Amino acid sequence: MYLPDFDYYVPASVAEACQLLAENIDCAKVISGGTDLLPKMKHGLLSPQILVSIKKIPGLRKIEYVQGKGVVIGAASTINDIVFSEVVQQKYPSVSNAAHTMAANQVRHSGTVGGNLVSAVPSADMPPILMALNATATIEGPNGQRQLPVEDVFCGPSKCLLEKSEIITEIIIPDQAMTGSTYFKFALRRAGALAVVGVAAAVQVENDVIKDARVALGAVAPVPMRAKKTEEFLIGKKISDELLEEAGKIAASECKPITDFRASEEYRRDLVRIYTKRALRKAIDHGHI
Amino acid sequence: MEGIRYPKENTLYKKKEYTQIGQSKPRIDGVSKATGAGKYCGDLKFPNMLYGKMLTSPHAHAKILSIDTSEAEKIPGVIKVITHKDVPDLKYGISPARWDENVLCIDKVRFVGDKVAAVACVDEETCYKALKAIKVEYEVLPAVLDYRTAMNEDMPQIHEEYPRNINTEIHQLFGDVDKALEEAYHVRTDVFEGQRTYQCPIEPHSAISIWKDNKLTVYSSTQSVHYFQYYIAREFGLKMGDVRVIRPLVGGGFGGKLEPTGLEFNGAVLSRLTGRPVKMFYDRAEMFAHNRGRHQGHYEITTGVSKEGKILAAKANFVLDGGAYTSLGIATAYYAGGLLPLTYDFENYQFDLVRMYTNLPACGAQRGHGAPQPKYAFESHLDNVAEDLGIDPIEIRKRNARQANTNTCNGMGIQSCYLSEALDKIEEITDWKAKKEKGLPKGRGIGMATGSFVTGAGYPIYRNDYPSSSCMVRVNEDGTSATLYANAIDIGQGSDTVLCQMTAEAMGYRYENMKIVTGDTETAPLDFGAYSSRQTAYCGWACKRAGEEIKAKILETAGFMMHLPPEDLECEEGIIFSKSRPKVEPITFEEAAKKYFIIKGPLVGTGVYTVPRLGGYHKGAPVATSPSYSFCTQAAEVQVDEETGEIEVLHAWDVHDAGQIINPALMKGQVHGAFGMGFSETVMEEVVFNKDGKIINPDVGGYRIITALDMPNFTNDLIPSNDEPATPWGLKEIGEGSNNPTMGAVRNAIYDATGVNIATLPLSYEKVWRAIKEKKEKEQAAK
Ligand SMILES: Cc1cc2nc3c(=O)[nH]c(=O)nc-3n(C[C@H](O)[C@H](O)[C@H](O)COP(=O)(O)OP(=O)(O)OC[C@H]3O[C@@H](n4cnc5c(N)ncnc54)[C@H](O)[C@@H]3O)c2cc1C
Repeated sequence: MYLPDFDYYVPASVAEACQLLAENIDCAKVISGGTDLLPKMKHGLLSPQILVSIKKIPGLRKIEYVQGKGVVIGAASTINDIVFSEVVQQKYPSVSNAAHTMAANQVRHSGTVGGNLVSAVPSADMPPILMALNATATIEGPNGQRQLPVEDVFCGPSKCLLEKSEIITEIIIPDQAMTGSTYFKFALRRAGALAVVGVAAAVQVENDVIKDARVALGAVAPVPMRAKKTEEFLIGKKISDELLEEAGKIAASECKPITDFRASEEYRRDLVRIYTKRALRKAIDHGHI
Repeated sequence: MEGIRYPKENTLYKKKEYTQIGQSKPRIDGVSKATGAGKYCGDLKFPNMLYGKMLTSPHAHAKILSIDTSEAEKIPGVIKVITHKDVPDLKYGISPARWDENVLCIDKVRFVGDKVAAVACVDEETCYKALKAIKVEYEVLPAVLDYRTAMNEDMPQIHEEYPRNINTEIHQLFGDVDKALEEAYHVRTDVFEGQRTYQCPIEPHSAISIWKDNKLTVYSSTQSVHYFQYYIAREFGLKMGDVRVIRPLVGGGFGGKLEPTGLEFNGAVLSRLTGRPVKMFYDRAEMFAHNRGRHQGHYEITTGVSKEGKILAAKANFVLDGGAYTSLGIATAYYAGGLLPLTYDFENYQFDLVRMYTNLPACGAQRGHGAPQPKYAFESHLDNVAEDLGIDPIEIRKRNARQANTNTCNGMGIQSCYLSEALDKIEEITDWKAKKEKGLPKGRGIGMATGSFVTGAGYPIYRNDYPSSSCMVRVNEDGTSATLYANAIDIGQGSDTVLCQMTAEAMGYRYENMKIVTGDTETAPLDFGAYSSRQTAYCGWACKRAGEEIKAKILETAGFMMHLPPEDLECEEGIIFSKSRPKVEPITFEEAAKKYFIIKGPLVGTGVYTVPRLGGYHKGAPVATSPSYSFCTQAAEVQVDEETGEIEVLHAWDVHDAGQIINPALMKGQVHGAFGMGFSETVMEEVVFNKDGKIINPDVGGYRIITALDMPNFTNDLIPSNDEPATPWGLKEIGEGSNNPTMGAVRNAIYDATGVNIATLPLSYEKVWRAIKEKKEKEQAAK
């Protein structure tokens, strides 16, 4: 448990950061809050020789509402920035609340949303709600900028569709037709615990009918996943307890959980059923909460 | 007094005016700890200091064929590498009946984490490089990983001296159990299974050894400087006077820091060989591997009861997983059954136990020592019996409750005891009857249990005839402060604070003027340390006596100054006054103390306490004896999410018979902490191993301890008393009895909420979920 030696760079711009990464393509890594990276380095799982900090790049920690774009969250915003952001609290309390379920105060204080996405941990708490709200990530590299839906960022446990020289600069939650959204995290204690199951739901309700729905699941597949069959089943249907129960069952059957020492596959599936139902109900009844 | 409500008409409590005890004085170490100014062992640095680390076994059971340190020695910054050849081969341990550990393994390793070699380097980073470069050739042996089958004929043998891997065997019989069971109205047997938990103190174990000029000084995060001094001197053949053990601040022990850890032995050897101070410490994963946490066990309990629920006979048949070495496990084993007859009075009792060796880290003493899991089993069983008979859980306990001035069937003498009153009180403050009659909302349940614990072990850990505790008080020359020198060990429980309060009370002085020097074998006199909830009572006696000596001396001087007979004088809060002549001008403690020094020299008082001989004459009788016992009841109201199995404790209550309370705030802290720890062990904590015997959750993320957010609202209540003759001021322990009932209370509440019985600890959300599901399926099938 000892942090190996590394060089530490603090670039002043995204371009400079990308250049540093490109020049040291096999031995450099971005460090943001370091709450995911540093423990891995201490355990000897990673040993980058160069760390490129993005914390001092101006603008990367802003959270604001931009007309025509949506809520823009700088990738280096800490989880607590999101918890306490007035913009987020006003537009999508569900996102602020989801952020608050993460870890404990110390970790929320240094961990960032960019790191939460790029670490690509199946149980990460930010992806489900961001996916449910159809958020996109802005990615910058030596060859310019591109947009990727958050759900397409991941390609496997700890694997992302990012080039080694690219960084995420912001996450955009677009303006919503969805009338409600929420995130439920089921963990084995009230703080400092990873999700055993995470369920986010967003719904567009009109006259007791679900016009649109997005359900995203965490910790039950190699990457955070959309429950597309569940969504399809829901769209166009009239809201009832039976409908939501049925939706829960579909979500439970389409997720792909594993058994580990925290929970069995069977338990995780049933939790998906229960929390899909509960999340839908909450989003239907209470808006973005 | 804040926090304590004495009933108006209290016949139990003879109200006395105390000025220093019975008050929530601020902790003497509070500011230094809160500001970070206080130093723990890991904070200390010495000129020229080296860092040491141990190489441990990656296998659960293997022969060591060869160890090659040559590559490691070549690494720049590596100063010394040692193996078993460089260290004494005298076996050590903490229970003298089974010293079975080597400083470094000689021919065999017995668990993942067993110590194989050690290095001293210029910095920590180099240590890790050096460890990687040591080549050890092993022949992997089949391992014994399940204690329940460890005794089987075909199992490999872990220690040559212990056939069939039996480390300890206990068979005790009191009265005529068979006859009583035959005559009983109802006989029931239940089986429960515990899990392995770990103390996980916030501060890791560490030691800094300085071996210089034939003298060895060890700074260590320990619960006992005396035992460390004794065991270190013994290991190296040194005179105890040439070994100095110093304890800086300690960040929690819970039983896991009472015994040598290997850090002090290896550090000492490395220091002797290099001539430099050597700091060694465990990181979190190494702490888990070293372990010495709570034994997991298999607990079969049978009782025979009368129609009214009176227990006529009890049978306890236990198997414990001891891990690879004995540690404190023999005492654990005797405690496991020894304490069961405390809270309930029955004449006929049979206690059988085997403690098994396995190729897992050694288990030892953890808060409550051997008692909490067996007590959990007994309290769960008793609720089952009550249900069989249709008797209310509190009622059945009332009918069996221990009374004052009685003896247990296994030879323990109880004097002061207010368990019955505590049962009445818990019934009242939980609104028990109404909740039972009217019922609770869906998924809600309430449960309770009783607890008790020794106020200090009756006997020291290794055989000796030293007094249990001693201390010395020296008043500053001008009387403006007094320093208590004691080797009572404050591991966070607050002993420094309460001992100063008690000393000041006895002296007629003020707590605020007290200073304390503890945890240094060279400056303070002997005390066996912090374990078995002994510190406040045992060292308290010594403090009371030392304080009274000072008071007597000072009143004599004051008599001379005031021209009055000393018998007519009293000293309170530093003011000396005449008892018979209120008009006589008082003088101050300071004035009299200063005068004393001018005339006679240092104003010193000493105090000593020796436990009287206790207990019966059967094998194992000394364990679980104590001059006095605390009693308590606890209740918990839980909400179980019937879909997910999630458990929330909505409220918890504790009613304690803890005698005179010295510091109400610290008392509450102990009870809250104990409940939290017990609740955590009931539903969350478990050290989990993979199929090769390696711990898969050796960190505070994977090994879940409850957080502040999981802690319920809490009500502390007391049955105040001060009639316990065996302790100073009639106090009783509070540190360990307070987690004795917790697991049973929480389990009984979960059962009340769900109607499901879960056989194994922890009662995790998933197990509750599964049990509820299975119950529903059964009910459906029956329809
Ligand atoms: C005790 C503890 C508890 C935790 N609990 C939780 C929890 O409950 N829920 C949860 O979801 N997570 C949890 N985590 C994981 C972690 O804290 C979060 O995932 C956090 O958001 C990571 O952010 P960071 O800024 O610290 O990432 P870092 O450690 O700095 O980086 C993580 C990875 O992302 C890359 N990276 C970071 N930012 C960018 C960027 N902008 N562009 C490209 N690559 C980037 C890094 O190169 C690295 O590979 C916990 C961690 C700890 C230590």
